[in-house]
Amino acid sequence: MNRFPVQQLYRLTILAISFMTWHCSSEQGASKSEYGEALFVHEIQPLLQRKCLTCHGDDPSDLSGDLDLRSRRSMLQGGQSGLSAVIPGKIAESRLIHAVKRVDPDTAMPPKEDESLDEDEVELLEEWIGLDAPWPDEDKQQEIRETGAWQYGNRLPVRTSGGLSADWDDRRYKLDKLWAFLPLENQEVPGMQHDAIHPVDAFIDAKLEEKGLRASKQAEKETLIRRASFDLTGLPPTPEEVSDFIADESEGAFSRVIDRLLESPHYGEQWGRHWLDVVRYADSDGYSNDYIRPNAWRYRDYVIRSFNEDKPYNQFVREQVAGDELDPNDPEMLIASGFLRMGPWEHTAMSVQAETRQLFLDDVTNIVGEAFLSIPLSCAKCHDHKYDPIPTRDYYSIQAVFATTQFADRSAPFLPSENLELLDEEKARLEAWIEKTKKEQREMKAREENAARSWYAARGLKYLPKRERRRLPEEQQPPRYYGLTHQDLGYRKVLNKRMQILNRTKARFDPFAYSVYNGPNRDVRSHQVMKMPDSIPQDPPATHILGGGSVYSPTQEVPPGVLSAVVSLGLPPDRSIEEALPNPIPTGMQGRRAAFADWLTRDKNPLVTRSIVNRIWQYHFGRGLAGNANNFGATGQQPTHPELLDWLAIYFVENGWSIKAMHRLIMNSAAYQRSSQDAYASTRREIDPDNRYLSVFSPRRLTAEEIRDTRLFVSGEINPIPGGIPVRPEINQEIALQPRHTMGSIAPAYQPSPRPQDRNRRTIYAEKYRNMRDPMLEVFNQPGPDVSCERRDASSVTPQVFSLMNSTQVRDRAIAFALRLEDQYPDDLAAQITGAVELCWNRRTTRQDLESSLAYVESMVEYHQKQKPIAVEYPTQVHRKMFEEMTGEPFEYSEELDIYKNYTLDKKDIDVSVTTRALADLLVVYFNTNEFMYVY
Amino acid sequence: MSTEDRKYWRRRDFLYGLGAGVGAVALSSLLGCEKQVVGESTKSPVIDNPLAVKPPMFTSKAKACIFLTMEGGPSHIDTFDPKPELARYHLTKFDRQGEQFSAMSSGNRYIVQSPFTTRKVGQSGADMSAPFVHLAKVADEICFYRGGQAESVNHPTAMYHLNTGNQFGGDPAIGAWTAYGLGSYNQNLPSFVVLPELAFPQGGSANWSNGFLPAQFQGTTFRPEGTPILNIDPPPGVSRYHQRSTLDLLQELNEKHYQKHPEHQELQARMHNYELAFRMQMEVPDIIDINKEDDKTKALYGIGQQETDAFGRKCLLARRLVEKGVRFVQLYSSGWDSHDYLARAHGSLIKSIDQPITGLILDLKRRGLLDETLIVWCGEFGRTADNGVREGGVAYGRDHNPDAMAIWMAGGGVKAGHTIGATDELGQEAVESVHPISDLHVTMLHLLGLDDNRLTYFHGGRYKQLSQFGGKVIGELMG
Repeated sequence: MNRFPVQQLYRLTILAISFMTWHCSSEQGASKSEYGEALFVHEIQPLLQRKCLTCHGDDPSDLSGDLDLRSRRSMLQGGQSGLSAVIPGKIAESRLIHAVKRVDPDTAMPPKEDESLDEDEVELLEEWIGLDAPWPDEDKQQEIRETGAWQYGNRLPVRTSGGLSADWDDRRYKLDKLWAFLPLENQEVPGMQHDAIHPVDAFIDAKLEEKGLRASKQAEKETLIRRASFDLTGLPPTPEEVSDFIADESEGAFSRVIDRLLESPHYGEQWGRHWLDVVRYADSDGYSNDYIRPNAWRYRDYVIRSFNEDKPYNQFVREQVAGDELDPNDPEMLIASGFLRMGPWEHTAMSVQAETRQLFLDDVTNIVGEAFLSIPLSCAKCHDHKYDPIPTRDYYSIQAVFATTQFADRSAPFLPSENLELLDEEKARLEAWIEKTKKEQREMKAREENAARSWYAARGLKYLPKRERRRLPEEQQPPRYYGLTHQDLGYRKVLNKRMQILNRTKARFDPFAYSVYNGPNRDVRSHQVMKMPDSIPQDPPATHILGGGSVYSPTQEVPPGVLSAVVSLGLPPDRSIEEALPNPIPTGMQGRRAAFADWLTRDKNPLVTRSIVNRIWQYHFGRGLAGNANNFGATGQQPTHPELLDWLAIYFVENGWSIKAMHRLIMNSAAYQRSSQDAYASTRREIDPDNRYLSVFSPRRLTAEEIRDTRLFVSGEINPIPGGIPVRPEINQEIALQPRHTMGSIAPAYQPSPRPQDRNRRTIYAEKYRNMRDPMLEVFNQPGPDVSCERRDASSVTPQVFSLMNSTQVRDRAIAFALRLEDQYPDDLAAQITGAVELCWNRRTTRQDLESSLAYVESMVEYHQKQKPIAVEYPTQVHRKMFEEMTGEPFEYSEELDIYKNYTLDKKDIDVSVTTRALADLLVVYFNTNEFMYVY
Repeated sequence: MSTEDRKYWRRRDFLYGLGAGVGAVALSSLLGCEKQVVGESTKSPVIDNPLAVKPPMFTSKAKACIFLTMEGGPSHIDTFDPKPELARYHLTKFDRQGEQFSAMSSGNRYIVQSPFTTRKVGQSGADMSAPFVHLAKVADEICFYRGGQAESVNHPTAMYHLNTGNQFGGDPAIGAWTAYGLGSYNQNLPSFVVLPELAFPQGGSANWSNGFLPAQFQGTTFRPEGTPILNIDPPPGVSRYHQRSTLDLLQELNEKHYQKHPEHQELQARMHNYELAFRMQMEVPDIIDINKEDDKTKALYGIGQQETDAFGRKCLLARRLVEKGVRFVQLYSSGWDSHDYLARAHGSLIKSIDQPITGLILDLKRRGLLDETLIVWCGEFGRTADNGVREGGVAYGRDHNPDAMAIWMAGGGVKAGHTIGATDELGQEAVESVHPISDLHVTMLHLLGLDDNRLTYFHGGRYKQLSQFGGKVIGELMG
């Protein structure tokens, strides 16, 4: 309770209306038994119903373990074991307590770990048993229910749009688990007497003091600049930037570094990537065909632009939810609402339209919850939320906001800011493929028709072209596919599929935005260009609550709406939810999303504002103030510093929803600038092993993208230009050429971009296929693009070693890096090593580094003098073998690898001298070091 | 010495060299050890090894699972659940009822009889279509199940469902859950291995994803061609001497760095991985080399015959992996999506798996491993009794059917020699002992000694489990 300021609690108590607060005190004998009976009616019975009766009472003919918990008598009698489930007054001896505390895994109840009772619920049961387990009769129960007034501890009722059952409506919520739904509260900065202190530090330090923790000192300057550079741009500082910063001893030197980094175009790439993790950006559909989404990349660049421009977050949210409604004539707005289509989705002749439509609706409802509200809404899809005040009705009301949202590839002229550099070249390549494929199809048709001709000739009949003979009886025309071998039959399908893929991909060369419009449902398949319909009827499809979440079980119809608990908790108790909404969501075809976005971005929306500041905090410190950035509900981790979180949210809104202002605020704090080296480690290990209170700075491993980008950055190969149609870096060639099943065929081989400068773009610009991940990124925990990623893992697994030690991609960077160093410091190995250390580790070289590195390179020179490197050749075709589905027989074909016919290779061992190879060996080691992989 | 041998020796030499060269990192991880202690004791926190062997939650026979996944949806009607009634209605027009229509399954439809004859096999008199020649020999080892139902009619969603319990992908695969629950007997091998077809299935590697479980539990593909594990081979021209010096330098630099950051335990885990990686580098090529088996064994699996060679190799490799302590091996056979030419397509596919699977069961049995190994055979759904009018009515096939399918299990703890459940007289829908995929998952875990309700992982604010929201053990399948 101490987490919530007094005035708030006061208001909430009022909100609980005229609830009489019960006190259990032993002096009041009569009221003690009354209290116990009320406790039973309001808490214990619903708890038993929720957690136990499914197996122990609802079906009296099938009682699990013969234990019936529907009456006190049967409860005391017990089940098969013959032992009482409850012994009144004896908490410790009651087997029920034993079971719900999960002391023994074999008797733990409820059986599902996910349904375990929380501490509070266990305490309730204990209290009730301690009161001799009173169980009033039906009449008394009814009487108690009718008197109504009940409040227990910090538990409150919450008004919502209404649950599927009265029991659910009657639920009480623990105040501290409701934190995210409660209105933002103005917070006083602790210890305002020292005005010199940074407000963030005031909150953090107060908590450190409370916990008995001591903060570490400020990090060294070279650590600090490396930390800030990776944090804001995903790239290391250059050696010059490091030395300039160290030399700058004036006031505000670090603030100026922050300002410089915030102005870098790489800032938007790094922070845009965080957002793309949340929204699950990929360039392809996933599922069977994994079609390229025409111009999903424009959304990726929109996100990067928005971060670079410091677009106010409320505007950013509105554009993504309702850009097309806000201004359908602004291409940027059409691109922005592509957000709604970022999930994996496919509809084909094999799928059921009603199901794929529902799949989208469920997906968009949930992602809006996770991304903006930090509440995964899918938990309320089949039943009222088990822990949070979210009725299923709210789930479908929010879904109704999107019921009129339909997919379209909408015309949206390319913007001057968009990078169209590779468009013509990629288009020419695709057209060549289309020509080539059409030619092969024509040849196959010609073969079929020649065979048909001889079929007619053999029978002395006049040849009829396909069109004319198709409707004739079977015996009057050659059998279907006459003259084609099973090889042809298989290849024919491959060609057809290839045409479908090429045609779908082609749409990316037209100025389409991967976007939406409002209209009735329609059946569009994933392989088609989804044009806007010419005329759009204006009667909106209805939204129903779906029984068990099944599209085949519609029940009650619901209008579009918002999260009702958030509305009600922000209201005085005498005002209804309906009258309080400033913008009721229109029920017509248009404007639902714009109204919903307005609700999301009201200054006082406690979820949306807390959500974004918590995310920003998390990316700076590795962990949010609330530990689950996508889940602020009762099952998510509660904030360590709730007052700071609210203070930040209010600061954020007051500063125009500016994300860059938040960076400045946070990064200028002492908490951000602390050393990760810990002088008080033993105390901290005991009190705060996970460093939740931030007495030190938590080191982090670089992300998959940072690891690759940094290799390119230090090797000097990186091509920093922003945006545009996705590029294809080299990936493990076995995976690139690995056949992948699509519907009825094999997907085209992955071929890298032909020129190094295109391959060496930042990783965020690499084409991202859902069904074919770059294994090197995947192994370093790049999240899969199907579910929203709230925070990246940084696990250490063995295949990482293989990819860093043995892969061509790492070797090629090392050779380029070696050549760069040799060019920069000709004939001076020591200087080359010093240069490498400064680039890789952002610090000066120690004598020991230098000595062991020199010795290693010298021994490698000797080694390479005896070793003849092998010439590298890339294949220009790949052989495919598959089973023809119609016949089950194998067939083969070869696929041309057109790009490798005109391909600029990276420099390989054979192209460089013995000394370069030896230096490259050293650089591979540097790329593998922990010092390279971690930021402190 | 052959090239192959040289390659092998080179790796082994290297590893010996590694042991001498890594200094502070002790070679401490013995098979099956619970915890691994790395480095000196004063500043060496114990690193939890997520792949350490964990005891099952209750006594069970099966210690490992071989999951024979038939991608595309094999027809139950034409394999293990014959429907003689279909002959009576052959080619009669059929109106599809219900709502689950895809564009493909609407339109004019007609009933199709099985192109295969069928017979009763084994002591138990199990039904088996004629193309299964070999499997009849081991029919009494098998428990056939006809009550299974999938949910999706579409391949990728149904595959995700079968593999991960979630139609929409992104969740951990059953193999990952098993590895998470049981750990691995062999620290030099991944505990969940996938033997895909040459082509990855629809939906790709998400079918063997670790989802939200730690990355250690991801399925590792041993691909039938190329290097079994990506980049496991050092680049050409890199010798033992080269690797050893390289690692020595790396460990030296890392050790120095670690001294600066003694509180940062992840550093040690990373250093330790270099040691593990190179042990794996030694062990994997040895295990996948099926030439170490005698000719008779290879012949048992149909290796060397054109039709059965590919799947035979996978089955034999599966046995070798299970023998070495891998917990979950998933084998793919693809192309079962017979919309047309059912006789030819299913005929040749059955042939390609018949002898290999029989060989696997016989081989495991004679080695005393069948009892400890759960074998599961199924596809992502079954097929319909009817078909759309395609190919002018000559190329009989069947459509997708989520309401009925063929599943069988053999080995560890199953009720061998029984047929459980039933479908209706046309095979359109399971009607007896009907269970969803989630119950199949719960049952598989149960046979492996794991309780789905307790095999959970806290993620996104919820204890998640394979069955998603719980399920029932299909008791009738238990021995």
